[in-house]
Amino acid sequence: MTAPGGSACREAGRDLRAGLPGRPALRIGEASALVHRRGVAVTVALAAVLAAAVVASLSLGEVTVGPVQVLRAVFLGGTPEDLLVNELRLPRTALAAAAGAAFGLGGALIQSVSRNPLASPDVIGVTQGAGLAATYALTTGVAAAAVAPAALAGGLAAAALVFAIGARHGLAAHRFVLSGVAVAFALRALIEIIIVSADPIDGQRAQIWLIGSLNGRGWTEAAAVAGTLLLTGPALLWAARALHTTALDDDTARGLGARPVARRLGLGVTGVLLAAAATAQVGAVDFVALVAPQVARRLAGTDRPPLLGAALVGAVLVVLADLVGRRLLAPTQLPAGVLTAAIGGPYLVFLLVRGRRRGSV
Amino acid sequence: MGSRARRMSVILVALALLALAVLASLALGSKPIPVGDVLSALRDGDGGEHATIVRGMRVPRTLVGLEVGAALALAGVAMQALTRNPLADPRILGVSAGAAAGVVTAIAVFGITTLTGYVWFGLVGAAVAGVLVYAVTGRAGVSPVNVALAGAAVDASLGALIYGLLAVDARTFDEYRFWAVGALAGRTPDMAAQVLPFVMAGLLLAVVAARGLDALALGDDVARGLGFRVGRVRLAAAGAAVLLTGAAVAVAGPIAFVGLAVPHLARGLVGADHRWVVAVSVLLGPALVLAADVVGRVITPPGEVPTGVVTALVGAPLLVVLVHRARAVSA
Repeated sequence: MTAPGGSACREAGRDLRAGLPGRPALRIGEASALVHRRGVAVTVALAAVLAAAVVASLSLGEVTVGPVQVLRAVFLGGTPEDLLVNELRLPRTALAAAAGAAFGLGGALIQSVSRNPLASPDVIGVTQGAGLAATYALTTGVAAAAVAPAALAGGLAAAALVFAIGARHGLAAHRFVLSGVAVAFALRALIEIIIVSADPIDGQRAQIWLIGSLNGRGWTEAAAVAGTLLLTGPALLWAARALHTTALDDDTARGLGARPVARRLGLGVTGVLLAAAATAQVGAVDFVALVAPQVARRLAGTDRPPLLGAALVGAVLVVLADLVGRRLLAPTQLPAGVLTAAIGGPYLVFLLVRGRRRGSV
Repeated sequence: MGSRARRMSVILVALALLALAVLASLALGSKPIPVGDVLSALRDGDGGEHATIVRGMRVPRTLVGLEVGAALALAGVAMQALTRNPLADPRILGVSAGAAAGVVTAIAVFGITTLTGYVWFGLVGAAVAGVLVYAVTGRAGVSPVNVALAGAAVDASLGALIYGLLAVDARTFDEYRFWAVGALAGRTPDMAAQVLPFVMAGLLLAVVAARGLDALALGDDVARGLGFRVGRVRLAAAGAAVLLTGAAVAVAGPIAFVGLAVPHLARGLVGADHRWVVAVSVLLGPALVLAADVVGRVITPPGEVPTGVVTALVGAPLLVVLVHRARAVSA
């Protein structure tokens, strides 16, 4: 982390420059937004990459369907590949994209709020809380439909606990993040108690859930995640503006008339909700929420993770992780979470080494 | 604090606690055995039911508990001194996860089934993870938060990869899950004997490095001025940390928080002098692990809660307390 003072100066300087005349700005009545040229280009490019990844995910499998046939099946229907593409591959791919977007957005919000590029849902307890509830549900024979709601409630409850323990020192303080690490340890111990005492088959099912997999999931799950994305939409529009002041240190933000703690709380809760909703439906697909915002930030060349960019990178990562997991050791299906962990671990190390050299981690 | 007499009395109390923990570990369990019977079973071992339980099951797991507790506590001492980070612990830094990944690789890729084989792979895994964390976080100046975060992330990452390897194979998974949570159950006298050389070597290195660690705490330049070879002290401490973690994880799985809690407790009792901290930790570590193991045996009869789960449940609140109290954590 940078020293608060230095970071604030740099941020404030950049905001000042962004406000200078001569920069393109988008104005619709009262509302206006500065247009970041590189940001727009990156967003368009990412959308294209996502489209390509989705088509690849719909094309490849036991039976390969050409991209043209895929597009015809999706948009026109009535083709011989209709069932395979639209009924089997499309729902799963839609879920992967929606969950990835939710992870990316949630991660971007949590990282901005805590001002820590390493903070992610599995650090602040969301993953473990959802995992604990899901493990309990999966090993006690509760109806399958109850697993996701239970996981959502568990994730939110755990995050609330971490907020409660860590908030005494202000949400940005490092102690908040460390409280999350501690709570995560305790929750994981409880998960382990359940897994060890469970029937082996149930234990393994729970374990696969914990790693995160899109196996056997479809429209219902995709709709749940997409619904959360839509519901949080208004909050996100506001967040895109609010992030400018949250990235400043509290005193500077207050000086500019912002209410930093309330804003951070609002943004944090939105981020947690998105991450918990995605985790509830696909399990803990690790590192997407951590990696996606940072990748997007680097691509766009900004100081803070861009929200739309983070969502797109997240979607691309999960769609590709699911695709590779399906095909790598076929017919054995590797959970998507294994793939994201394989990419996320080394990337994290890279992030830490780079950050250390630049003195910011 | 710090008078010799006071420190000696701390050592004596720690010894008494350890003796108590050993006795509890031999006597308590799903079938409690009176202390008198335990002692007679140890003395003559006539083959009666009590003798079978005590000598066949409880003695080996107690021996393993002694080794693992001492190893993890000293690994924590070495890591905290080496990184000048109050939150260092084999599990928190991800070194245990490295050792675990090594052991799983031995099982899944090389089909190794002997503990001696596990230990070597565990050591390599611990060393790789240790070097990685050290390279990333450096000696000092990196905030404890980022160290802990990096460790937690490494732990999660390796954990997911391990489970990915195992997700394909239900049988190995079933064996693995008991080992992975950190447990002393089902250990044999052979196992205790096989890891002993590694633990002894690590212990020796830790004792040798103790005075150098005191000097390191004053900063590299001062340490050099006092005539210590800084590089060698670090190497010895790092070697101790890797040997002790690798051996402990290979025999009992990754048990968290012993390496975090015991050094803090020891420093609170005898001050910062590393020779005393090492001496107290080597007694309190096993006492803590054995106590956790005994608690795990009796709280959910007839089942058992693995030792590592008990230490995690006790240790997590401790971490919260440390985080809120320590001034060093603020950056």
